[in-house]
Parts: sequence; structure tokens; C-alpha cells
Amino acid sequence: MKLNQLILTAAVGAQFVFPALAADGTATNSTEAAEIEALRQQVQALDQKVQSLEQQREAEPPAVADTNQEQIHELDQKVRILARQHELDQEDAAAAAKTRPLVKLDASGFTLSSADTNFVISLHGLIQLDSRTFFNDHNLVNSGFLLRRARPIITGTVFHDFDFNFTPDFGGSTVQILDAYLNYRYNPELQLEAGKFKSPVGLEALQSDAYGFFNERSLVTDLVPNRDLGVELHGDLFGGAASYAAGLFGGVSDYNGTTVNTDSDNDKAFAGRIFLQPWKTTDVGALKGLGLGVGGSYESDRNGAAGLTPGYTTDGQQKFFTYSAGVIANGQHWRISPQGYYYYGPLGILGEYVISDQEVSRTTAPLGSADLRNKAWEVSASWVLTGEDATYTGVTPRHPFNLHTGGWGAWQVVGRYEELNVDNNAFSAALPFAASTTSASSAHAWSAGLNWYLNRNVRLNASFSHTLFSGYAGATPAVPAQAENVVFTRIQLAF
Amino acid sequence: MKPFLILLLASALAAVAGAKEIKLLNVSYDPTRELYQEYNAAFAKYWKAKTGDDVTISQSHGGSGKQAQSVINGLEADVVTLALAYDIDAIARQAKLLPVDWQKRLPDNSTPYTSTIVFLVRKGNPKHIKDWDDVVKPGVTVVVPNPKTSGGARWAYLAAYAYALETYGHDDARAKDFVTRLYKNVPILDSGARGSTITFAQRGIGDVLLAWENEAHLALKEFGADQFEIVTPPLSILAEPPVAVVDKTAKRHGTTDVARAYLEYLYSDEGQEIAARNFYRPRNPAVAEKYAANFARLKLVTVEQEFGGWQKAQQTHFADGGIFDQIYQP
Repeated sequence: MKLNQLILTAAVGAQFVFPALAADGTATNSTEAAEIEALRQQVQALDQKVQSLEQQREAEPPAVADTNQEQIHELDQKVRILARQHELDQEDAAAAAKTRPLVKLDASGFTLSSADTNFVISLHGLIQLDSRTFFNDHNLVNSGFLLRRARPIITGTVFHDFDFNFTPDFGGSTVQILDAYLNYRYNPELQLEAGKFKSPVGLEALQSDAYGFFNERSLVTDLVPNRDLGVELHGDLFGGAASYAAGLFGGVSDYNGTTVNTDSDNDKAFAGRIFLQPWKTTDVGALKGLGLGVGGSYESDRNGAAGLTPGYTTDGQQKFFTYSAGVIANGQHWRISPQGYYYYGPLGILGEYVISDQEVSRTTAPLGSADLRNKAWEVSASWVLTGEDATYTGVTPRHPFNLHTGGWGAWQVVGRYEELNVDNNAFSAALPFAASTTSASSAHAWSAGLNWYLNRNVRLNASFSHTLFSGYAGATPAVPAQAENVVFTRIQLAF
Repeated sequence: MKPFLILLLASALAAVAGAKEIKLLNVSYDPTRELYQEYNAAFAKYWKAKTGDDVTISQSHGGSGKQAQSVINGLEADVVTLALAYDIDAIARQAKLLPVDWQKRLPDNSTPYTSTIVFLVRKGNPKHIKDWDDVVKPGVTVVVPNPKTSGGARWAYLAAYAYALETYGHDDARAKDFVTRLYKNVPILDSGARGSTITFAQRGIGDVLLAWENEAHLALKEFGADQFEIVTPPLSILAEPPVAVVDKTAKRHGTTDVARAYLEYLYSDEGQEIAARNFYRPRNPAVAEKYAANFARLKLVTVEQEFGGWQKAQQTHFADGGIFDQIYQP
């Protein structure tokens, strides 16, 4: 502002002074000349000052520009530093994520895993609350509620290749350890498992308890082994198109719901199974879900009564056949079980045939032995009404039940026919091993039901089973004395 | 006829036996990528000619301290070629994968090449940085990695500290003040030397990068001499990056012989030439003379002289609660 005023003053001064001098060019006295000279010098001084100020003004903008430039540079550096710091933070976060343990909680359960997945521990669970209502049973059995299964299931992996499973069961009336095993996984094709786990024979027995069509397994499972102590080599070949299992076990009787943690004798059992799904990895959709196999076991069993079944049971879990007191296992015991399933879209079919051939002896008069060949078979089928795929490992609802969003889960209808025939020689008049007054020689049953999968974890079942018996000659009311009619319901939580 | 049959039999046996395929993992520090890419190819060729076996060397790079920790945590290195002896000492002491006297097994304290710390500045050196005093001036932005994770950063820190000791009559308090002022000028710490080069050269941050000499030359080569220039201070530190076979891992892999040969070959004429071409100062006097023009002359102090060795330097300066923790405020 000051600079502008000075320039203006100088300019105005010049306009007034020089015309005056020109107009009065005749003045000659020395006073005027002195005044003029003084004015001239004043103007010159002012002019010099203006020039000086102009130069100063010209010099100023670069200085200001430099200041601005420095400020811009500083700001630019700050922005770059912040951007780089953000970049480094992201790199650090990515690096930290590579070593941070992973925690997962979803429909598959709770899993804690090291970042490299070499160490994993998972918590799963299975709870089944059932009801069984018997009709026309002459009050032989109780209708009522039952905590069928209550299992915390702990699985995991250590050092990448060693898997483990620990599964106790608090359901029913007996607390027991069902599974406790370690599995060394060299690769999917070659694995070695040791501990207590399911013997590799029956297809239905090997299916998870959470995924069966019905509340209870069929009569064929009466003839196969349950969990056993042993060592097993197993694996999946050709991407799962074939699987095998072969192991050495302590040896157990035909299916016993109550498992033990000790080996009861010196005899050992060989058990094995081959299962083929030839089209599993192909594009032939209609055949992808076809699986056929055979399982079997062999044992030379001189185990006494412990080697015999505690009793064959119906769908309603009532014993309809037991060996008489004084009968023992005494010789070879072999089983064979051709088996298969077919799953295609909502359709699921599962079938199995079992022969359990066992040498038995009487320890009381009349003494003697026999080779008894008991047989059973079953076919069960299902159809998922809501269109989801039926599989050996259950049904995953497309629209989980949710009243707010309108999902109703998956609905499945199921049906089954099953038979079990005890060798007629068991009831021989001359050398009986079972009493026809307490046991039936055969049972055959049909069942129908409806399953509602609310979501992957919650499932409700309702079904009806009708079982008929043959060969019962007793006079008093007993399980095999009349047909078994039972309605099942179940509320299941599995995760 | 008989010699012919023997020859035939020997040929057949050789064909059956076949050439072995050997794999080595060299866990190294940040700026050696280019050095070992060239060296690995040369060694593989040498080994093939000598034994007929194919050897493939994989490289792993990162901040030297981080790399050492990775080996301690299970990274299966057959050999380590790290920035400083302390990091290999840590592997020997904590994981016991090699003997504690590992440094005596190869010449020159198992250090086949050396280096130092120089300044990389922007073209024209606008902040007129010539010596360490210029680096600590207010308004100068310095880029250097984190001494907690980077070997190069520890060498840079000690170079600055050594300069202060030499300048201020070995007054530790003034030296500490000097590095305090230095790190006040550091706005960001990368975990490794390569990261700092990116910060300085690619992200355009800072006025000066305290860099490995080879890394500074590489930056010139990579980004162009019209972008940066190297300023060699009159005094810096003699950086001695050592090498060692990780005995237990190599034994388990069955690679002990080839791992040992791999490191020994670094001392060969070819190995030294490759080091020099990659701007590492070779130990071999003849090769050093040949490449003398690549390396500025300066006074180089050693960790042993100024700091009493790496163990002491680490404990005093870089351990938790050490001087670096005291002077650096992020």
C-alpha cells in the first residue's frame, strides 16, 4: 500500500512540476532557479526511490514463491510419509496375519487353528433328545423321553499330519468313551489310525449318528461290529473314487451299543472294507453318487460269552433274540457285508446285506457246538421334498428356517424295509442255543418318517416303525410275542 | 574286450544312478537379491561341472534380524548369508543349529566380502549433505530402516555413532545426543534396507538415504544416475556380512557338502568377481584392485574397535531398553 502511494505521489508531482517549468521558461531570477533546482532534485530523489521500491517489489515475489514452494514441498513430504506409513502398516498387518491364529465359529463348530494350519483343534457336539411311544405293547416297555446321545466331540491336528478325535458320550444310561484315536496322515491315500474307533465293516454303522435317515439304525447293524480297539491302515484313492481300510482289532461281538475300553481276550480280529465310487470324480452326474463296496471281518474267537451278542434289537431297541445262558463263542467268527448307496439330487437309497457266521458251543448239557449263520438285509430310501441334495453326510437346507425371512429349511420323507434271520440251528430241539420261548427266529420291519432340517445344525425327526417276529413259541407276553409299533420323534443339535 | 565291458558296465551303472538333483535354501538379508541371483547361477554351473549334479538354490530375503528369527523359528535354511555376525550367533545360541564358533570355519571371519554405509541423495544434493554432521541438521529428512529388524540399519546407526565418538573425543553422551538428533530426522522406519530404498527412491520421501554401499549403487543403476547421487562420507563403518552353513538342517537335508562348497566358492576368483560386480568390496586383493574405481576411499572403523564387538554393541544399543529405544520416539 505504501509503495503504491509513493508511485502515485511521484507521478502526480511530475505532472504538476514539469509543465509549470515549461510554462515559465522565461524566469531568470536566481531564487526561482534555485527553487526549480530544488524541485528537480526532489523529483529525481522521488524517482530514484520509486525505482528502488520497484526493484524491491520485483525482488519480493520470488521470495514469497520460495516460501510457498517450501511449504508445498513440506506438505508433499508429509503426505508421502503418511501414505508410506499406511503402506508399511498394511504390510505389517499382512505379515502379522500370516502368523496370527485363526478362530472360526460357524455351523461346522468352533475351530482354533495356527496360521499355517499345522495345529488345529475343533469342538463339535451332538445332542439328540428322543421320544418313543409304543402301541399295543402290553406295557412291556416304557414309552417316554430319552437323551439318546449327548457328545462333546473334540477333533484336531498336531504337527500337520497327526489327526486326533476324542468323543465321550453322556447319553443313555452309560457314560462311555466312544472314539479316542490318533490318525497319522502321510497323504490322503495312506493313513494309519490307532485307538478306539468304528470297525470298518457295516455301511450303516459307519455313517455318522447325526446323518441317518431314521432315529435308529436297521436290523443289519445288529450283525456288524461297533467300535473296537485296534490299528488300521486306510486311505482314499483316485480322488476319493475308491477307499480302503484294513486293520487288526481286539475283536468284538455283533453290534453292542455299550462299548468297552479293554480287549477281553488274546484273540484278534481282522476287519477290512473296500468301497468304490467309480463315477465320483467324473461328469456323469447321474452316477456320481453311486457307491458299492464290501466289508468283512474274521476272528478265531474262544472268548466265551463275551464274544456273543448281548442281543439283537428292534428299531425300538427291544431285544428280540439272545443266546441262552451257557452258550459261548467258540471258534471262528466271520462277517461279510456287501453294501451300497445311491444319491442323486434329492433321492437317496442305501442298502446293505450282512452275514454273521459264528461257531458257538454249549457249556451245559446237552454239550455240543454249531456253526450259526445269521443274516440281515435292509433297503432304505429318502426324498428331499424341498429339492436339496440328499447325501451320505446329511442334507444342507437351501433356505434355513427363519420366520423373519420366510425360510422353511429342508423336508425329507424316508422309508425302510429290513429283515434279520437267525440260523434255524440256534433253535434246534436236540442242541438249542436260544430258546424259542424268549427269542424270535426272525424279525422284519418297515418304517416311514419325515425329517425336517431347520438348518445345518438343527433337525427334527418323526417316524413310525412296525416290526413283526417269527418263531416265537412262548406263552407269556414278551417282546417278540406281538408286533412292535413305535412312533419316534427326535430333536437333534449337531455342530 | 575286457576294458570295453568294464566301461560299458560303468556307463550303465552311471546311467542307473543318474545325476542327483540337490536343492539348497540360502536365507539372506535384504539387498543381496541381485548378488545371489548371479552367484547361484555361477555356482550351479561350477558344481555341475565338478560333480555332475544339478543344484538349485532358492533365496529368501528380508531384514537380517527377521531372517535370523525365521530360521530360529523353523525356516529350513541350508546356509545363511546375513548382514552381521550377531544374527548368525543368535541362530547358533538359541536354536543350536550350528556351533557357536561357526565364524572360524571360513577365512576372514566367514566374511567373503565387505561393505559400508554411504549416503544416497537426490541429484544435485540440494541439502548439501557431505558428512554425518549434515545429516543431523534440522530440516533434513533421513530415510533408514529399523535397527531392530534390519542389519543394514544397525550398521548405519553404528556408523553415525562411531563418527560422533571420533568427532567428540569418544564422549558417549555427545554421541548419544548425535544419534538422537539423527533419528529426529527419520520420519519412518522400514523393516529392511530394500524397503527403505523404495521409500526414498520410489516414494520420493526424504533428502538422504543411509544405505549399504551396494544398495546405493543398485539404486543408481535401477533408477538412473540422473535421479540420485552417492555421497561417501569421510568416515564410515566396515560392514562385514558373514556366511555360514546351518549344520543340522543341511545334515538333515543331506546337503552338507554342497552347502559348504557353496560358501567356499564365494572366496574363489569368480565368486569375488561377482561380489565386486554387485558393489560388495571383495576380500581378494587382486579383485579389489581390479574394481578399485567402484569403491570410494574412506576411513572405515570396525565394530570391534569402536564398540567392543557385536555382542556388546547389540546389548548396549539395540536390545530392549538399549540406547536406540531410549533415543527413538516414533
